[in-house]
Amino acid sequence: MAAIEIRGLTHSYRNGIPVLEGVDLTIQRGEFVGLIGLSGAGKSTLLRCINGLQSQTGGTCIVLGEAVEQLPERRKRMLRRRIGMIFQEFNLMERLTVRKNVLVGRLGYVSAFLSYFHYFPKSDIQLAHDSLDRVGLLDYARRRVRDLSGGQKQRVAVARTLAQGAEIILADEATANLDVYTKDDIMGLIRELVDNHGMTVLASMHDLPLAQRYCTRIIGLKKGRITFDSSPDTLDESAIADVLGRKVALR
Amino acid sequence: MIRSLRGWLVPIAVMAVIVWSFATINLDLTHFGSGLQAGKDLVWSMFPHSRADLRYEWSLRSNLWDPFLETIQMAVVGTVVGGLVALPLSFFAARTTSLPRVFTGTLKTYLNFSRAVPTIVYALLAVSAVGLGKAAGAIAIAFVSFIALAKLYAEALESVSTGPVDAVRAVGGNSTQVFVYGMLPQVFPNYLSVTLYTFEYNLKDSFIVGIVGAGGLGSQLYQAMQHFRWQDAGLIVALLIVMINLVDYGSYRLRAILA
Repeated sequence: MAAIEIRGLTHSYRNGIPVLEGVDLTIQRGEFVGLIGLSGAGKSTLLRCINGLQSQTGGTCIVLGEAVEQLPERRKRMLRRRIGMIFQEFNLMERLTVRKNVLVGRLGYVSAFLSYFHYFPKSDIQLAHDSLDRVGLLDYARRRVRDLSGGQKQRVAVARTLAQGAEIILADEATANLDVYTKDDIMGLIRELVDNHGMTVLASMHDLPLAQRYCTRIIGLKKGRITFDSSPDTLDESAIADVLGRKVALR
Repeated sequence: MIRSLRGWLVPIAVMAVIVWSFATINLDLTHFGSGLQAGKDLVWSMFPHSRADLRYEWSLRSNLWDPFLETIQMAVVGTVVGGLVALPLSFFAARTTSLPRVFTGTLKTYLNFSRAVPTIVYALLAVSAVGLGKAAGAIAIAFVSFIALAKLYAEALESVSTGPVDAVRAVGGNSTQVFVYGMLPQVFPNYLSVTLYTFEYNLKDSFIVGIVGAGGLGSQLYQAMQHFRWQDAGLIVALLIVMINLVDYGSYRLRAILA
Protein backbone atom coordinates (compact mmCIF):
# COMPACT_ATOMS: atom_id res chain seq x y z
CA MET A 1 0.00 0.00 0.00
CA ALA A 2 1.31 3.42 -0.95
CA ALA A 3 1.76 5.98 1.81
CA ILE A 4 0.08 8.70 -0.27
CA GLU A 5 -2.06 8.19 -3.36
CA ILE A 6 -3.53 11.26 -5.03
CA ARG A 7 -5.79 11.19 -8.08
CA GLY A 8 -7.06 14.26 -9.93
CA LEU A 9 -6.67 16.52 -6.88
CA THR A 10 -8.00 20.03 -7.43
CA HIS A 11 -8.27 23.02 -5.16
CA SER A 12 -9.49 26.53 -5.90
CA TYR A 13 -9.63 29.73 -3.87
CA ARG A 14 -13.03 31.07 -2.91
CA ASN A 15 -12.88 33.49 -5.83
CA GLY A 16 -12.53 30.52 -8.17
CA ILE A 17 -8.83 30.91 -8.98
CA PRO A 18 -7.40 27.39 -9.28
CA VAL A 19 -4.41 26.42 -7.11
CA LEU A 20 -4.17 22.70 -7.84
CA GLU A 21 -5.35 21.39 -11.18
CA GLY A 22 -5.66 17.61 -11.36
CA VAL A 23 -2.61 16.47 -9.40
CA ASP A 24 -1.84 12.73 -9.74
CA LEU A 25 0.82 11.44 -7.38
CA THR A 26 1.78 8.21 -5.66
CA ILE A 27 4.37 8.16 -2.91
CA GLN A 28 5.57 4.82 -1.56
CA ARG A 29 6.53 4.25 2.06
CA GLY A 30 10.14 5.16 2.82
CA GLU A 31 10.46 7.72 0.02
CA PHE A 32 11.95 11.17 0.63
CA VAL A 33 10.23 13.34 -1.94
CA GLY A 34 11.26 16.92 -2.60
CA LEU A 35 8.55 19.22 -3.91
CA ILE A 36 9.91 22.15 -5.91
CA GLY A 37 8.24 25.03 -7.70
CA LEU A 38 7.80 28.77 -7.63
CA SER A 39 5.93 30.51 -4.81
CA GLY A 40 2.22 30.20 -5.53
CA ALA A 41 2.67 26.96 -7.53
CA GLY A 42 0.49 25.13 -4.99
CA LYS A 43 3.13 23.33 -2.90
CA SER A 44 1.78 24.33 0.52
CA THR A 45 -1.81 23.73 -0.59
CA LEU A 46 -0.91 20.23 -1.73
CA LEU A 47 0.70 19.46 1.64
CA ARG A 48 -2.28 20.86 3.54
CA CYS A 49 -4.74 18.86 1.44
CA ILE A 50 -2.83 15.68 2.32
CA ASN A 51 -3.44 16.08 6.07
CA GLY A 52 -6.85 17.64 5.62
CA LEU A 53 -5.94 21.08 6.98
CA GLN A 54 -7.23 22.40 3.65
CA SER A 55 -10.31 20.99 2.02
CA GLN A 56 -9.98 19.92 -1.60
CA THR A 57 -12.33 20.98 -4.38
CA GLY A 58 -12.14 17.69 -6.30
CA GLY A 59 -10.29 14.41 -6.76
CA THR A 60 -9.21 11.87 -4.17
CA CYS A 61 -6.40 11.92 -1.66
CA ILE A 62 -5.74 8.57 0.00
CA VAL A 63 -3.28 8.78 2.88
CA LEU A 64 -2.22 5.62 4.76
CA GLY A 65 -5.18 3.86 3.20
CA GLU A 66 -7.80 6.47 4.18
CA ALA A 67 -9.56 8.85 1.79
CA VAL A 68 -8.99 12.19 3.55
CA GLU A 69 -11.93 14.06 2.02
CA GLN A 70 -14.44 11.39 3.03
CA LEU A 71 -13.41 11.19 6.67
CA PRO A 72 -15.57 12.80 9.36
CA GLU A 73 -13.69 15.34 11.49
CA ARG A 74 -12.98 12.89 14.32
CA ARG A 75 -11.47 10.28 11.97
CA LYS A 76 -9.55 13.03 10.21
CA ARG A 77 -7.99 14.00 13.55
CA MET A 78 -7.04 10.36 14.14
CA LEU A 79 -5.37 10.23 10.74
CA ARG A 80 -3.48 13.46 11.43
CA ARG A 81 -1.84 11.79 14.43
CA ARG A 82 0.05 9.62 11.93
CA ILE A 83 1.15 12.59 9.80
CA GLY A 84 3.76 14.95 11.20
CA MET A 85 4.07 18.47 9.86
CA ILE A 86 7.09 20.74 9.99
CA PHE A 87 6.60 24.39 9.09
CA GLN A 88 8.83 27.14 7.76
CA GLU A 89 7.99 29.39 10.73
CA PHE A 90 8.42 26.45 13.17
CA ASN A 91 4.91 27.08 14.57
CA LEU A 92 5.95 26.27 18.10
CA MET A 93 4.41 27.71 21.24
CA GLU A 94 7.15 30.17 22.10
CA ARG A 95 6.17 30.70 25.73
CA LEU A 96 5.98 26.99 26.53
CA THR A 97 8.94 24.79 27.35
CA VAL A 98 10.68 22.64 24.76
CA ARG A 99 9.28 19.51 26.43
CA LYS A 100 5.71 20.82 26.42
CA ASN A 101 6.03 21.63 22.73
CA VAL A 102 7.15 18.09 22.02
CA LEU A 103 4.30 16.76 24.15
CA VAL A 104 1.89 18.65 21.88
CA GLY A 105 2.63 15.79 19.46
CA ARG A 106 0.87 13.46 21.93
CA LEU A 107 -2.37 15.49 22.07
CA GLY A 108 -4.18 13.11 19.76
CA TYR A 109 -3.42 10.14 22.02
CA VAL A 110 -3.90 11.35 25.59
CA SER A 111 -7.12 11.96 27.50
CA ALA A 112 -8.47 15.18 25.99
CA PHE A 113 -9.86 16.35 29.34
CA LEU A 114 -6.57 15.89 31.20
CA SER A 115 -4.65 17.54 28.38
CA TYR A 116 -6.70 20.73 28.91
CA PHE A 117 -4.86 21.00 32.25
CA HIS A 118 -1.47 20.25 30.64
CA TYR A 119 -1.39 16.78 32.19
CA PHE A 120 0.46 14.05 30.27
CA PRO A 121 1.14 10.47 31.44
CA LYS A 122 4.68 9.55 32.50
CA SER A 123 5.08 7.31 29.44
CA ASP A 124 4.41 10.30 27.16
CA ILE A 125 6.87 12.46 29.06
CA GLN A 126 9.46 9.70 28.65
CA LEU A 127 8.63 9.55 24.94
CA ALA A 128 9.13 13.32 24.68
CA HIS A 129 12.52 12.99 26.38
CA ASP A 130 13.50 10.16 24.03
CA SER A 131 12.46 12.27 21.02
CA LEU A 132 14.48 15.25 22.28
CA ASP A 133 17.44 12.95 22.86
CA ARG A 134 17.22 11.81 19.24
CA VAL A 135 17.43 15.38 17.96
CA GLY A 136 20.15 16.29 20.45
CA LEU A 137 18.11 18.65 22.61
CA LEU A 138 17.46 16.67 25.78
CA ASP A 139 19.42 19.21 27.84
CA TYR A 140 17.05 21.93 26.63
CA ALA A 141 13.84 20.18 27.73
CA ARG A 142 12.96 22.69 30.44
CA ARG A 143 13.92 25.81 28.51
CA ARG A 144 11.37 28.02 26.85
CA VAL A 145 11.27 27.72 23.07
CA ARG A 146 11.62 31.49 22.65
CA ASP A 147 15.17 31.22 24.01
CA LEU A 148 16.30 28.83 21.25
CA SER A 149 17.95 29.51 17.88
CA GLY A 150 16.13 28.88 14.58
CA GLY A 151 17.90 25.57 14.01
CA GLN A 152 17.12 24.39 17.53
CA LYS A 153 13.47 25.35 17.08
CA GLN A 154 13.25 23.27 13.93
CA ARG A 155 14.81 20.35 15.81
CA VAL A 156 12.07 20.72 18.41
CA ALA A 157 9.53 20.56 15.57
CA VAL A 158 11.16 17.34 14.33
CA ALA A 159 11.08 15.95 17.89
CA ARG A 160 7.37 16.78 18.02
CA THR A 161 6.71 14.64 14.94
CA LEU A 162 8.80 11.84 16.48
CA ALA A 163 6.79 11.97 19.70
CA GLN A 164 3.68 11.97 17.58
CA GLY A 165 4.69 8.57 16.19
CA ALA A 166 4.21 9.95 12.69
CA GLU A 167 4.62 7.64 9.71
CA ILE A 168 4.63 10.50 7.21
CA ILE A 169 6.35 13.87 7.55
CA LEU A 170 5.11 16.84 5.54
CA ALA A 171 7.73 19.57 5.59
CA ASP A 172 6.57 22.96 4.32
CA GLU A 173 9.76 24.83 3.42
CA ALA A 174 11.19 23.63 6.71
CA THR A 175 14.69 24.92 5.99
CA ALA A 176 13.81 28.24 4.33
CA ASN A 177 14.57 30.35 7.43
CA LEU A 178 17.82 28.61 8.33
CA ASP A 179 21.47 29.24 7.50
CA VAL A 180 23.29 26.88 5.12
CA TYR A 181 24.87 24.74 7.85
CA THR A 182 21.66 24.39 9.83
CA LYS A 183 19.76 23.53 6.64
CA ASP A 184 22.11 20.58 6.14
CA ASP A 185 21.74 19.67 9.77
CA ILE A 186 17.93 19.51 9.63
CA MET A 187 17.82 17.76 6.25
CA GLY A 188 20.34 15.21 7.52
CA LEU A 189 18.16 14.58 10.54
CA ILE A 190 15.07 14.05 8.37
CA ARG A 191 17.00 11.82 5.98
CA GLU A 192 18.10 9.72 8.95
CA LEU A 193 14.44 9.21 9.87
CA VAL A 194 13.76 7.97 6.34
CA ASP A 195 16.76 5.64 6.21
CA ASN A 196 16.60 4.20 9.72
CA HIS A 197 12.96 4.45 10.70
CA GLY A 198 11.18 3.95 7.40
CA MET A 199 9.42 7.31 7.48
CA THR A 200 7.92 8.80 4.34
CA VAL A 201 8.72 12.47 3.72
CA LEU A 202 7.22 15.00 1.35
CA ALA A 203 9.14 18.25 1.66
CA SER A 204 8.50 21.44 -0.28
CA MET A 205 11.67 23.46 -0.78
CA HIS A 206 13.28 26.20 -2.84
CA ASP A 207 16.88 25.11 -2.33
CA LEU A 208 17.42 22.86 -5.36
CA PRO A 209 20.96 21.59 -4.56
CA LEU A 210 19.72 20.69 -1.07
CA ALA A 211 16.78 18.81 -2.58
CA GLN A 212 19.14 16.95 -4.90
CA ARG A 213 21.44 16.04 -2.02
CA TYR A 214 18.89 14.59 0.35
CA CYS A 215 15.77 13.56 -1.56
CA THR A 216 15.24 10.22 -3.25
CA ARG A 217 12.76 11.74 -5.70
CA ILE A 218 11.94 15.21 -6.94
CA ILE A 219 8.56 16.48 -8.03
CA GLY A 220 8.15 19.80 -9.82
CA LEU A 221 4.91 21.72 -9.46
CA LYS A 222 4.00 24.50 -11.89
CA LYS A 223 0.73 26.41 -11.71
CA GLY A 224 -0.96 23.58 -9.84
CA ARG A 225 0.23 20.77 -12.12
CA ILE A 226 3.05 18.27 -11.79
CA THR A 227 5.51 18.96 -14.61
CA PHE A 228 8.48 16.97 -13.33
CA ASP A 229 8.67 13.69 -11.44
CA SER A 230 11.95 11.81 -11.40
CA SER A 231 15.07 10.97 -9.45
CA PRO A 232 17.29 13.87 -8.26
CA ASP A 233 20.12 13.10 -10.69
CA THR A 234 17.84 13.72 -13.67
CA LEU A 235 17.03 17.22 -12.43
CA ASP A 236 19.11 19.26 -14.85
CA GLU A 237 18.99 22.91 -15.82
CA SER A 238 16.47 22.40 -18.63
CA ALA A 239 14.11 20.52 -16.29
CA ILE A 240 14.43 23.31 -13.74
CA ALA A 241 13.78 25.90 -16.44
CA ASP A 242 10.63 23.98 -17.30
CA VAL A 243 9.39 23.94 -13.68
CA LEU A 244 10.46 27.43 -12.66
CA GLY A 245 9.98 29.11 -16.03
CA ARG A 246 13.58 30.39 -16.10
CA LYS A 247 17.17 29.13 -16.04
CA VAL A 248 18.73 28.48 -12.65
CA ALA A 249 22.27 27.17 -12.20
CA LEU A 250 22.54 24.12 -9.93
CA ARG A 251 25.52 25.41 -8.00
CA MET B 1 -13.76 67.85 -5.89
CA ILE B 2 -16.44 65.78 -4.13
CA ARG B 3 -13.75 63.49 -2.75
CA SER B 4 -11.78 66.43 -1.29
CA LEU B 5 -15.02 67.82 0.21
CA ARG B 6 -15.65 64.45 1.85
CA GLY B 7 -12.13 64.54 3.24
CA TRP B 8 -12.88 67.87 4.94
CA LEU B 9 -16.31 66.86 6.21
CA VAL B 10 -15.13 64.67 9.10
CA PRO B 11 -12.61 67.19 10.57
CA ILE B 12 -15.21 69.97 10.24
CA ALA B 13 -17.82 67.83 12.03
CA VAL B 14 -15.35 66.95 14.81
CA MET B 15 -14.42 70.63 15.24
CA ALA B 16 -18.11 71.59 15.31
CA VAL B 17 -18.80 69.10 18.12
CA ILE B 18 -15.80 70.36 20.11
CA VAL B 19 -16.80 74.03 19.69
CA TRP B 20 -20.44 73.28 20.56
CA SER B 21 -19.39 71.35 23.68
CA PHE B 22 -17.23 74.20 24.97
CA ALA B 23 -19.71 76.90 24.01
CA THR B 24 -22.66 75.32 25.81
CA ILE B 25 -20.92 74.07 28.98
CA ASN B 26 -22.28 77.16 30.85
CA LEU B 27 -19.19 77.75 32.92
CA ASP B 28 -19.99 80.71 35.16
CA LEU B 29 -16.68 82.37 35.90
CA THR B 30 -18.25 85.05 38.08
CA HIS B 31 -18.44 82.57 40.96
CA PHE B 32 -15.21 80.83 40.08
CA GLY B 33 -13.19 82.54 42.78
CA SER B 34 -15.61 81.75 45.63
CA GLY B 35 -16.27 78.26 44.21
CA LEU B 36 -12.58 77.49 44.14
CA GLN B 37 -12.30 78.55 47.77
CA ALA B 38 -15.24 76.30 48.70
CA GLY B 39 -13.59 73.37 46.94
CA LYS B 40 -10.32 74.05 48.70
CA ASP B 41 -12.12 74.16 52.07
CA LEU B 42 -13.84 70.87 51.31
CA VAL B 43 -10.56 69.12 50.46
CA TRP B 44 -8.93 70.76 53.52
CA SER B 45 -11.67 69.40 55.77
CA MET B 46 -10.92 65.87 54.56
CA PHE B 47 -7.45 65.92 56.13
CA PRO B 48 -6.72 65.55 59.86
CA HIS B 49 -5.34 68.76 61.39
CA SER B 50 -4.74 67.85 65.00
CA ARG B 51 -3.90 64.94 67.22
CA ALA B 52 -7.57 64.76 68.11
CA ASP B 53 -8.40 64.35 64.41
CA LEU B 54 -5.82 61.60 64.13
CA ARG B 55 -7.23 59.86 67.20
CA TYR B 56 -10.69 60.13 65.66
CA GLU B 57 -9.47 58.60 62.39
CA TRP B 58 -7.77 55.79 64.32
CA SER B 59 -11.07 55.15 66.10
CA LEU B 60 -12.74 54.61 62.71
CA ARG B 61 -10.65 51.47 62.05
CA SER B 62 -13.22 49.15 63.63
CA ASN B 63 -15.96 50.65 61.41
CA LEU B 64 -13.94 50.59 58.22
CA TRP B 65 -12.03 47.29 58.52
CA ASP B 66 -14.94 45.01 57.55
CA PRO B 67 -16.11 47.22 54.63
CA PHE B 68 -12.47 47.44 53.50
CA LEU B 69 -12.25 43.63 53.37
CA GLU B 70 -15.66 43.48 51.68
CA THR B 71 -14.42 45.81 48.94
CA ILE B 72 -11.43 43.57 48.24
CA GLN B 73 -13.65 40.47 48.42
CA MET B 74 -16.13 41.89 45.91
CA ALA B 75 -13.36 42.84 43.50
CA VAL B 76 -11.62 39.45 43.82
CA VAL B 77 -14.79 37.35 43.47
CA GLY B 78 -16.13 39.59 40.70
CA THR B 79 -12.89 39.46 38.69
CA VAL B 80 -12.37 35.70 39.12
CA VAL B 81 -15.96 34.74 38.27
CA GLY B 82 -16.14 37.27 35.42
CA GLY B 83 -12.82 36.04 34.01
CA LEU B 84 -13.75 32.36 34.24
CA VAL B 85 -17.04 32.91 32.44
CA ALA B 86 -15.42 35.22 29.87
CA LEU B 87 -12.65 32.73 29.03
CA PRO B 88 -14.73 30.14 27.13
CA LEU B 89 -17.14 32.74 25.77
CA SER B 90 -14.33 34.82 24.29
CA PHE B 91 -13.49 31.80 22.13
CA PHE B 92 -17.00 31.91 20.68
CA ALA B 93 -16.95 35.69 20.28
CA ALA B 94 -13.60 35.79 18.42
CA ARG B 95 -13.96 36.17 14.67
CA THR B 96 -10.97 33.88 14.05
CA THR B 97 -12.76 30.76 15.30
CA SER B 98 -14.44 28.46 12.82
CA LEU B 99 -17.90 29.26 14.16
CA PRO B 100 -20.47 30.94 11.87
CA ARG B 101 -20.07 34.72 11.60
CA VAL B 102 -23.73 35.20 12.63
CA PHE B 103 -23.01 33.50 15.96
CA THR B 104 -19.84 35.45 16.78
CA GLY B 105 -21.42 38.68 15.53
CA THR B 106 -24.52 38.24 17.71
CA LEU B 107 -22.40 37.50 20.77
CA LYS B 108 -20.20 40.53 20.15
CA THR B 109 -23.23 42.79 19.64
CA TYR B 110 -24.70 41.52 22.91
CA LEU B 111 -21.40 42.27 24.69
CA ASN B 112 -21.28 45.77 23.19
CA PHE B 113 -24.87 46.53 24.26
CA SER B 114 -24.30 45.17 27.76
CA ARG B 115 -21.09 47.17 28.10
CA ALA B 116 -23.01 50.39 27.56
CA VAL B 117 -25.09 49.79 30.72
CA PRO B 118 -23.53 51.50 33.77
CA THR B 119 -22.31 49.31 36.65
CA ILE B 120 -24.73 50.95 39.05
CA VAL B 121 -27.69 49.57 37.05
CA TYR B 122 -26.34 46.01 37.40
CA ALA B 123 -25.78 46.68 41.09
CA LEU B 124 -29.42 47.77 41.49
CA LEU B 125 -30.58 44.58 39.73
CA ALA B 126 -28.32 42.44 41.91
CA VAL B 127 -29.51 44.14 45.10
CA SER B 128 -33.14 43.55 44.11
CA ALA B 129 -32.31 39.91 43.32
CA VAL B 130 -30.25 38.89 46.36
CA GLY B 131 -30.76 41.78 48.77
CA LEU B 132 -28.39 44.34 50.25
CA GLY B 133 -24.80 43.37 50.93
CA LYS B 134 -21.52 42.29 49.44
CA ALA B 135 -22.99 39.31 47.54
CA ALA B 136 -24.99 41.73 45.40
CA GLY B 137 -21.87 43.81 44.80
CA ALA B 138 -19.84 40.75 43.82
CA ILE B 139 -22.55 39.63 41.38
CA ALA B 140 -22.76 43.06 39.75
CA ILE B 141 -18.97 43.31 39.45
CA ALA B 142 -18.70 39.75 38.12
CA PHE B 143 -21.22 40.57 35.40
CA VAL B 144 -19.52 43.81 34.39
CA SER B 145 -16.11 42.05 34.42
CA PHE B 146 -17.44 39.21 32.31
CA ILE B 147 -18.72 41.63 29.66
CA ALA B 148 -15.51 43.64 29.56
CA LEU B 149 -13.17 40.64 29.67
CA ALA B 150 -15.08 38.55 27.11
CA LYS B 151 -14.70 41.38 24.60
CA LEU B 152 -11.06 42.06 25.44
CA TYR B 153 -10.15 38.36 25.47
CA ALA B 154 -11.91 37.88 22.10
CA GLU B 155 -10.02 40.81 20.58
CA ALA B 156 -6.73 39.30 21.82
CA LEU B 157 -7.68 35.96 20.27
CA GLU B 158 -8.36 37.63 16.95
CA SER B 159 -4.75 38.80 16.79
CA VAL B 160 -3.08 35.41 17.42
CA SER B 161 -0.67 33.95 14.92
CA THR B 162 -2.29 31.08 13.04
CA GLY B 163 0.95 29.08 12.98
CA PRO B 164 0.69 27.38 16.40
CA VAL B 165 -3.05 26.88 15.77
CA ASP B 166 -2.19 24.99 12.57
CA ALA B 167 0.45 22.99 14.43
CA VAL B 168 -2.03 21.74 17.04
CA ARG B 169 -4.59 20.92 14.37
CA ALA B 170 -1.91 19.10 12.39
CA VAL B 171 -1.11 16.72 15.27
CA GLY B 172 -4.78 15.77 15.57
CA GLY B 173 -5.79 18.16 18.37
CA ASN B 174 -9.49 18.89 18.93
CA SER B 175 -10.86 22.45 19.01
CA THR B 176 -10.43 22.81 22.80
CA GLN B 177 -6.83 21.61 22.55
CA VAL B 178 -6.33 24.13 19.74
CA PHE B 179 -7.59 26.82 22.12
CA VAL B 180 -5.53 25.62 25.11
CA TYR B 181 -2.23 24.95 23.29
CA GLY B 182 -2.40 26.99 20.08
CA MET B 183 -4.08 30.17 21.29
CA LEU B 184 -3.87 30.57 25.07
CA PRO B 185 -0.06 30.58 25.31
CA GLN B 186 -0.02 33.38 22.74
CA VAL B 187 -2.63 35.53 24.45
CA PHE B 188 -1.67 34.75 28.06
CA PRO B 189 0.37 37.94 28.68
CA ASN B 190 -2.46 39.99 27.21
CA TYR B 191 -5.11 38.12 29.24
CA LEU B 192 -3.10 38.58 32.41
CA SER B 193 -2.68 42.26 31.73
CA VAL B 194 -6.35 43.00 31.02
CA THR B 195 -7.50 40.83 33.95
CA LEU B 196 -5.27 42.67 36.41
CA TYR B 197 -6.37 45.99 34.96
CA THR B 198 -9.99 44.89 35.36
CA PHE B 199 -9.25 43.97 38.98
CA GLU B 200 -7.95 47.48 39.63
CA TYR B 201 -10.99 48.92 37.91
CA ASN B 202 -13.24 46.64 39.97
CA LEU B 203 -11.79 47.98 43.20
CA LYS B 204 -13.03 51.41 42.11
CA ASP B 205 -16.29 49.94 40.84
CA SER B 206 -16.92 48.31 44.19
CA PHE B 207 -17.22 51.86 45.57
CA ILE B 208 -19.91 52.67 43.03
CA VAL B 209 -21.94 49.55 43.77
CA GLY B 210 -21.65 50.38 47.47
CA ILE B 211 -23.70 53.52 46.85
CA VAL B 212 -26.81 51.42 46.09
CA GLY B 213 -26.32 49.30 49.18
CA ALA B 214 -24.12 46.56 47.81
CA GLY B 215 -21.70 46.79 50.74
CA GLY B 216 -18.03 47.67 50.97
CA LEU B 217 -16.30 51.00 51.47
CA GLY B 218 -18.57 52.56 48.83
CA SER B 219 -21.53 52.42 51.24
CA GLN B 220 -19.38 53.98 53.97
CA LEU B 221 -18.20 56.74 51.62
CA TYR B 222 -21.74 57.48 50.51
CA GLN B 223 -23.00 57.69 54.10
CA ALA B 224 -20.06 59.87 55.15
CA MET B 225 -20.75 62.29 52.30
CA GLN B 226 -24.48 62.35 53.01
CA HIS B 227 -23.79 63.30 56.61
CA PHE B 228 -21.02 65.78 55.71
CA ARG B 229 -18.44 63.73 57.59
CA TRP B 230 -15.67 64.92 55.32
CA GLN B 231 -12.87 63.58 57.44
CA ASP B 232 -14.35 60.07 57.19
CA ALA B 233 -14.72 60.54 53.44
CA GLY B 234 -11.10 61.69 53.16
CA LEU B 235 -9.85 58.63 55.01
CA ILE B 236 -11.89 56.27 52.80
CA VAL B 237 -10.58 57.93 49.61
CA ALA B 238 -7.03 57.68 50.99
CA LEU B 239 -7.59 53.96 51.61
CA LEU B 240 -8.76 53.57 48.00
CA ILE B 241 -5.68 55.39 46.67
CA VAL B 242 -3.33 53.19 48.72
CA MET B 243 -5.23 50.04 47.73
CA ILE B 244 -5.18 50.85 43.99
CA ASN B 245 -1.48 51.71 44.04
CA LEU B 246 -0.58 48.53 45.92
CA VAL B 247 -2.56 46.46 43.41
CA ASP B 248 -0.95 48.36 40.54
CA TYR B 249 2.54 47.60 41.87
CA GLY B 250 1.60 43.97 42.60
CA SER B 251 0.20 43.45 39.11
CA TYR B 252 3.31 45.03 37.58
CA ARG B 253 5.49 42.55 39.49
CA LEU B 254 3.23 39.63 38.61
CA ARG B 255 3.26 40.53 34.91
CA ALA B 256 7.05 40.72 34.96
CA ILE B 257 7.30 37.25 36.55
CA LEU B 258 4.70 35.46 34.44
CA ALA B 259 5.00 37.15 31.04
